[in-house]
Amino acid sequence: MSDVNLSSPGIVSGQSLRIILRERTVALLAGLFVVLVLVSAYLGWSATTTVNAIYNDAVVYLQAAAQPVPPNPVNDISPLSLMRNMSIYVSLIGALAAIVIGYQLIATDRKSGILPLIGSRPIDRFAFALGKIVALAKANGGLMGVAAAIAVGSFLILPSASPDAMGWVRLMAFFALSFLYMMLFGLLAMAAAASSRSESVGLLVPVTIWLTVTFILPSLTANIHPTAAINPISALALPPDTVFFRWTGWLLGPLSVAESFKYLAAGLLDYLPATARVRSVVPPLPDLLLALTGAGWLAARGLARMDMTRGDYDV
Amino acid sequence: MATNAIDVQKLNQRFGTFRAIQDVSFVVPEGEIFGFLGHNGAGKTTTIHMLTTLAQPTSGTALVAGHDIVSDPMGVRREIGYVPENVRLYDTLTTVENLTFLARLSGVQDIPDRVAETLDFLSIRDLGDRRVGEFSKGMRQRVGLAQAILHRPKVLFLDEPSSGLDPMGMKMLRDLIVRLNHEWGMTIFMNTHLISEIAKTCTSIGVLSHGRLVYHDSIEAVTKRFGDDAALEELYLSVVPVQSNGEAA
Repeated sequence: MSDVNLSSPGIVSGQSLRIILRERTVALLAGLFVVLVLVSAYLGWSATTTVNAIYNDAVVYLQAAAQPVPPNPVNDISPLSLMRNMSIYVSLIGALAAIVIGYQLIATDRKSGILPLIGSRPIDRFAFALGKIVALAKANGGLMGVAAAIAVGSFLILPSASPDAMGWVRLMAFFALSFLYMMLFGLLAMAAAASSRSESVGLLVPVTIWLTVTFILPSLTANIHPTAAINPISALALPPDTVFFRWTGWLLGPLSVAESFKYLAAGLLDYLPATARVRSVVPPLPDLLLALTGAGWLAARGLARMDMTRGDYDV
Repeated sequence: MATNAIDVQKLNQRFGTFRAIQDVSFVVPEGEIFGFLGHNGAGKTTTIHMLTTLAQPTSGTALVAGHDIVSDPMGVRREIGYVPENVRLYDTLTTVENLTFLARLSGVQDIPDRVAETLDFLSIRDLGDRRVGEFSKGMRQRVGLAQAILHRPKVLFLDEPSSGLDPMGMKMLRDLIVRLNHEWGMTIFMNTHLISEIAKTCTSIGVLSHGRLVYHDSIEAVTKRFGDDAALEELYLSVVPVQSNGEAA
């Protein structure tokens, strides 16, 4: 037997992934996310080819009529903006999938009753927590990897809309940002699953936070109607210039991480309206990073302090 | 001189204002099968949780296989095996998959060989490729014992091991416990509320009542003191006050 088992986090993460990959809910949400990424790529391709076809018809007509031919409008927009629906899918299905993955990574252990057997083995509680967080990162990273591969594939088969070198960098930065956003919700779900006494509360808490962040806070800070929150452009609309929205923007803006994500995503994918401005006192990137750090701390603390004496939930 | 496998000193556990364990001290020499007897709620499982480092004592400490449960929990965990009252593993995994995972956490080398050897010892090789979710209580208990002895611990903790087993299952488990003690030299700490279990298996006994250790001696001494087959029952009734409804007062 080795004296110190330094590979424990790796063992825990590998086993945890193996277990949750057999969970139907996880497979369903992950599959839905991948399908939506494909839909997003198809919509981008479809919009471009439609505009191109109309433009080509118009060119023939205008040339026959000896009229001046305007430039192709497709060339006036950034190819990256064709992926703008992705930002909405990440904040909706991606975050929800991350919640389910984060929750299942802990709940399956608690429900299986195996925690006392793990807790009585030579594994440090923080190594256990690290193993679970690594498993979450691998699962979210896998989903983002698939999404990135689909996006890259779409651009490669659509040469007319292919981004330049800087565009590829921005595209990868968008997927890295999306990964961090999903990690935020996955970590919150882990913290709730580790700390709650009831199975249902463990899932309801992160889902409620997600609903609040995605739909309620934007309506309070910027008068964004919940249905507008699922539109990548209208989600960036300016709030009415009133005392109420100035105050709510200042007070609640730092908590409105969905807005921070959408603002950053719009900047990276080149569809940020010229009129858009940051509503919160905390700039979007520091805001997301602070939220992520807080969620990571909550998850690590919850996991390290989880009661290992018992297997199941109280209720 | 025999060294002590377990040395408990003034162990206390408090849950709010409730004192679950009160100044418990005892020793278990190496090679013993120690029966920890007590009524339901006496604090047996709480004690085992502290000795296996699953819970921290409020005060006091204990050495298990020479390691302090408070200052060196990792040292303790490397030397112990633990079978909880209700053995539960990943239901969707097979016995071998469950055992492999737990063996890796224990730092076991040559895992496939060790798993096969352990399954053979417990005569459950046929359960190896079956999912744990399909098992009866008795089968789970034996798989639970397998995970606890995979890494060949010096001290084995069993919490109510015969709970819920039929008479055949109980006998089989008793035989295994004795074999682990005789053939592998493991010190065994066994929680139970069944006097018959202790009489048939253990070499020494501790009696816990309402969080206090009220008796601690060898089975030999108990038999000498009371002098017949019902010795343990008489001992238990003499040290644990009983209410008129038959429950421990």
